[in-house]
Amino acid sequence: MAEILDYTIVSIILLAIGIYGLTVKRNFIRMLFAVEIIVNAANLNLVAFSRLMPSPNATGQTFALFSIAIAAAEVAVGLALMIVAYRIYRNIDIKGLKRLSG
Amino acid sequence: MVISMVDLYSTPIILTIILGVTGLILPLLDAFRRRDMSHKVHGSIAFGALILSIAVILVRIASGSIPLGIVFTDQVIADDMFGSFFSIAMLIVAIVAVVSSIEYMRRVPNPGPYYSLILLSSIGMVMLAYSTDLLMLIVAWELMSIPTYVLAAFKKKDPLANEAAIKYFLFGALASGMLIYAASLIYGITGSTNIAAVMQALISIDQGLRPLAFIALALLIAGFGFKMALVPFHMWIPDTYEGAPTPISALLSAATKKAGFAAAFKAVIFGMLVFNVEWSLMLAVIAVLTMTIGNLAALTQRSMTRILAYSSISQAGYMLIGLSLAPYSDLAMQGALFHVMNHAVMKSSAFIAAAGIALVIGTMNIDQYRGIGRRMPLISLVMAVSLLALAGVPPLNGFWSKFILFAAAVNAGSTVSWAPYLAIAGILNSALSLGYYAWVIRRMYFDEPVTIPTVNQSYVYGRAGVLKIKEPRLILATLLFALAFMVGFGVYPAPLIAFSQASVPSSDVFSLLPIEVQSNIVSDQQRYGGSSVEMEVEVEDHGDGSHGSEGDAATITTVVGYEPSTLEGEDGTDTGSTNGDKTDGELNATTNATSTIGHKP
Repeated sequence: MAEILDYTIVSIILLAIGIYGLTVKRNFIRMLFAVEIIVNAANLNLVAFSRLMPSPNATGQTFALFSIAIAAAEVAVGLALMIVAYRIYRNIDIKGLKRLSG
Repeated sequence: MVISMVDLYSTPIILTIILGVTGLILPLLDAFRRRDMSHKVHGSIAFGALILSIAVILVRIASGSIPLGIVFTDQVIADDMFGSFFSIAMLIVAIVAVVSSIEYMRRVPNPGPYYSLILLSSIGMVMLAYSTDLLMLIVAWELMSIPTYVLAAFKKKDPLANEAAIKYFLFGALASGMLIYAASLIYGITGSTNIAAVMQALISIDQGLRPLAFIALALLIAGFGFKMALVPFHMWIPDTYEGAPTPISALLSAATKKAGFAAAFKAVIFGMLVFNVEWSLMLAVIAVLTMTIGNLAALTQRSMTRILAYSSISQAGYMLIGLSLAPYSDLAMQGALFHVMNHAVMKSSAFIAAAGIALVIGTMNIDQYRGIGRRMPLISLVMAVSLLALAGVPPLNGFWSKFILFAAAVNAGSTVSWAPYLAIAGILNSALSLGYYAWVIRRMYFDEPVTIPTVNQSYVYGRAGVLKIKEPRLILATLLFALAFMVGFGVYPAPLIAFSQASVPSSDVFSLLPIEVQSNIVSDQQRYGGSSVEMEVEVEDHGDGSHGSEGDAATITTVVGYEPSTLEGEDGTDTGSTNGDKTDGELNATTNATSTIGHKP
């Protein structure tokens, strides 16, 4: 039980880092990293629970595989958006995105 | 736990095959023809696939083999009425978006991927509505979201579209990260991702794990809240809806938001098991905040898409009323579902009407809408009708769903003292929303026409000096369909009320665990023969304590029907409720004469 707690604590720290990065950082690539960190915090949880639960089962590891694939697809789209933004602004800082407001 | 095979002939699988195959073929057409074909070809194919999907759902429902309400099985998807209801609402919006895009996106290259992405996103929405497993739910959620990020940025050269998509992407990515994290916590607590198993495990949850379950459910609601446009998570909505192509804004506001609600309904159902009262109150506070802030922000806007975006936020508040009162009244869920369907049509038609006007006059600014009512009579008419429907003006469909929601709030007042305030807040907000809806209508009909700045020449005909505008035909076609829907179901709402009634899960959550439910909605429609709806509240206090959990609040069953003689124990209305003592309310099966949801022994 102590072991499972270690994993959970690490994953909560990762979640906090991810949310911090997403809310504070303004560089698009850093923000993509933050998204990845959040998803990987969840993956760590899933794999740890899957192995160390009172009744271990493989669902968590299956879930982690799906979630890795999903995160990859998401980041691919994010990078594509960033490339288009770079072509328009010559910059990947999202501070510049202020045309839509009101 | 082994995820067992799903039935290959169930509705969601058939829909996936239809939409998926069409969606994958569409981009290939370009490769074979070696030049960009017109939007007409791709749009028509996508339109055909979506119509076919709706036809499949309707045929399945008509065949009577779809169980009522929400069904939870040990599989990842379940073919139930709840999913069918949401699928129809979301596919209607997809059709509206596709048909109007054929005209609106005419000049934008790459039609193949565009319609393909709409279809793939539709698969995600449909699967989300049918999913009964958190793993499936999250995969479907991403399948729904990822294509819409691309669609929002589809005008590659347009900086506004790119900015809209980046904002949407960042919030969407945060939301999905939170959802996956919540799912991992729930898996850790209960040892399963199947919603039925999760619910069963949560009934007997260890007291020490309750805070963790609370965090997980809060993360779930926050994750869904980003899509649902709830107030602390609504910042991206106006920017994205303004910058994205308007048919895509319609798709986001009317369809993916509904998918968020579909997912939240399922999450709330098992959230109810762990946290009965606090949970509802929290959602109710968010509902009032969402309505009020959305409406107040809309009052100051000058861009039509931003007005509609804020109005979309405030409408989410109405649906959330239903969600927050779900444990106390069957009517609440029914009203919320009814409002989901109505809002899908009302909001998409308002967006498409704005798109049609923008196509001709080249702007979304409502100050330029002066005199539009005379120049484009049909589009203006539909715009006015959909705005009035959104405000809830009586002969239109929006009135009935708000009426049912407020009735539910008043009804639930016998159990939870704060519930009637939701109805008051809702009515005040409807009045407030008329402030900006009526402003737009005034601009269109009662202000003197101004010279339209940049009229798109392809929509002008007639001699010089006598300016006449040819209204965009395909956009007009979708709008007339929406007009027929809004007025038709406003005059005769009975079939939709019956459909939403059939899709509502019973308020007795324990009966939702896998059992056999068999019936068809025909008998429900018979019970709704007329237009008047009478409501009775009843509480049957068995006090058997079979569920054993101390947190069970009294379950109030609200019966809508015509046979007061079938109701029993009405004198119990006062007993188990106002003081909020912990009684085990037992659902009376007279609510739903057709379902076989049994009494617990």
